[in-house]
Amino acid sequence: MEFLRRWWKVVVLGLLLVYPWIYRAPYYHSLGFKVLLFAMMATSWNIMGGYTGYKSLGHSAFYGLGAYLVAIAANDLGWHPFLSAPLLGLVVALVAMVLGWIMLRTSGSAFVISTIAMLLIFRLAALNLRGITKGAPGMSQPLPPWTPEFSRMPFYYYMLLWLIIALAVSAYIRRSRFGLGLVAIRDDEGKAEMVGVNTTLYKVLAFGLSAYFVGLGGGVWSYFTTHISPIFAFDIVVGVDMILMTMIGGLGTLWGPVLGAFVLIPSEDFILFNFGSTSIYLAIIGALMIGVILFLPKGIIPTVEMWLENRRTPRAAHQDAMSMAEMHGLVDTFDKEKGK
Amino acid sequence: MTVMLRSESVSRRFGGIQAVDNCSISVEKGTITGLIGPNGSGKTTLFNLITGVYDPDSGDTYFEDKRITDLIPSKICHQGLSRTFQITRLFWELTVLENMIVPIRQVGVRAMLGPNMFRHEVDRAMDLLEWVGLTHLKDEPARKLSFGQQKLLEFAAILMADPKMVLLDEPAGGVNPTMIRFIMNLIRELNSKGVTFLVVEHNMGVVMELCNHVIVLDQGTKIAEGSPKEIQANPIVLDAYLGN
Repeated sequence: MEFLRRWWKVVVLGLLLVYPWIYRAPYYHSLGFKVLLFAMMATSWNIMGGYTGYKSLGHSAFYGLGAYLVAIAANDLGWHPFLSAPLLGLVVALVAMVLGWIMLRTSGSAFVISTIAMLLIFRLAALNLRGITKGAPGMSQPLPPWTPEFSRMPFYYYMLLWLIIALAVSAYIRRSRFGLGLVAIRDDEGKAEMVGVNTTLYKVLAFGLSAYFVGLGGGVWSYFTTHISPIFAFDIVVGVDMILMTMIGGLGTLWGPVLGAFVLIPSEDFILFNFGSTSIYLAIIGALMIGVILFLPKGIIPTVEMWLENRRTPRAAHQDAMSMAEMHGLVDTFDKEKGK
Repeated sequence: MTVMLRSESVSRRFGGIQAVDNCSISVEKGTITGLIGPNGSGKTTLFNLITGVYDPDSGDTYFEDKRITDLIPSKICHQGLSRTFQITRLFWELTVLENMIVPIRQVGVRAMLGPNMFRHEVDRAMDLLEWVGLTHLKDEPARKLSFGQQKLLEFAAILMADPKMVLLDEPAGGVNPTMIRFIMNLIRELNSKGVTFLVVEHNMGVVMELCNHVIVLDQGTKIAEGSPKEIQANPIVLDAYLGN
């Protein structure tokens, strides 16, 4: 138990590293890739939606933008997606900051609606700018040079690397002064501004950062599927999935989005396989969501933490009472009398 | 005497209500100035205009002879002008210590990417917490504090920004008499160290005892100012409060 508590990250990383060699069918490699991809994107979304409290429903726009940029760079410039995705992610982040600077004048539900509007505009543009995006039929890009049976494995490891980087960035931010400012904004934005936090700057930076990894993820995904079209690249469900994962795992926690992705994607696949591609799988997912919201409204990680804390509480409450008593000079006399 | 803060004929209208109407006030350096007036006379709106929460429809505000009218609130705070709120506002989910750290001035990328608290900042925060008697609560979330403790924390936290001047919105509102005395002593102690105060307060006992200059607002404009004694005897002020 103590061993696990100290080394669980290493254990999980080890399991993830050997996983493709234990489950060797391409399907498992695809599944693993998808889990890691969404874990990374949900981690990224969480910087804005969880830490800062601005829940964007339009992050698919950055996913699609990354996908198209990488595909166009591969076709027209011959850039390899694994190299261009992290670079073009920066372009996506820049676009997000410019748009965020406008959208972040709103907050609450108005912000959510403006992000949906942004997504729809991107989608409309992708459908109609045929010269650049080839319109509704979509565009293809060169296939990976690897043999088909191994073609999924490089994606898997590449995504694992980026998930670790995204988590490191998220953890670093959470512990930095910047992250403290973001959480302060979530708590009371007006007050944060009033005590000297430049809230506009903080929000715009957080928005750009949360778009970066999503854009990168979209780019890698476009290489993975080799063919992208507006309805799949700018699909609102991608963004909604990131939010669901974060909510299931624990909004605003470091590991919540990752845990959510590891729970949601395999269970979606499992249900889809067992009940066919009829719409019943949507109903089952919906029922699961209601269950989560009813019984784990704060997500898995905060709920488990609360249980653990409650188990420890009797002692903690006792300690509180003792320290209060000590402050009022009660314990001292009591202990002395007992000592006699 | 030098002027610390001066508002020149500021006005602000909300729909059909002229909340602040061509109001000019000035606060001298090193004083504790009271700002009184009946409910709805525009005291809090004036605070909001000074600190940049609202932009005035007309008029200008100068802090240490620098025009601050168009600055955003965080920049005004960086100039050395801090405030508290009528209804206490804290970062409820953050701990007491984190609430103290947020107001520390953060400039540049390096400060933002640094750790969320440096040793010397924690030491300073703990000194201030000890001063207001909240040391033992440093790791509690702010929402768990009692009302009086919240007021003390809000007050202590804004001091982390080293303000030259503090605007207090009803520091004695809803607080028991012992705590009022405690807060008044804190204000006096800081004032003796050179911090200027502008205090909105309804408790006349506090205003008369604490302030060395009083400004009276009514219907969004200044109707009188002077020493507490003069104000108490001023018939215009009595009219404003009691109606005529």
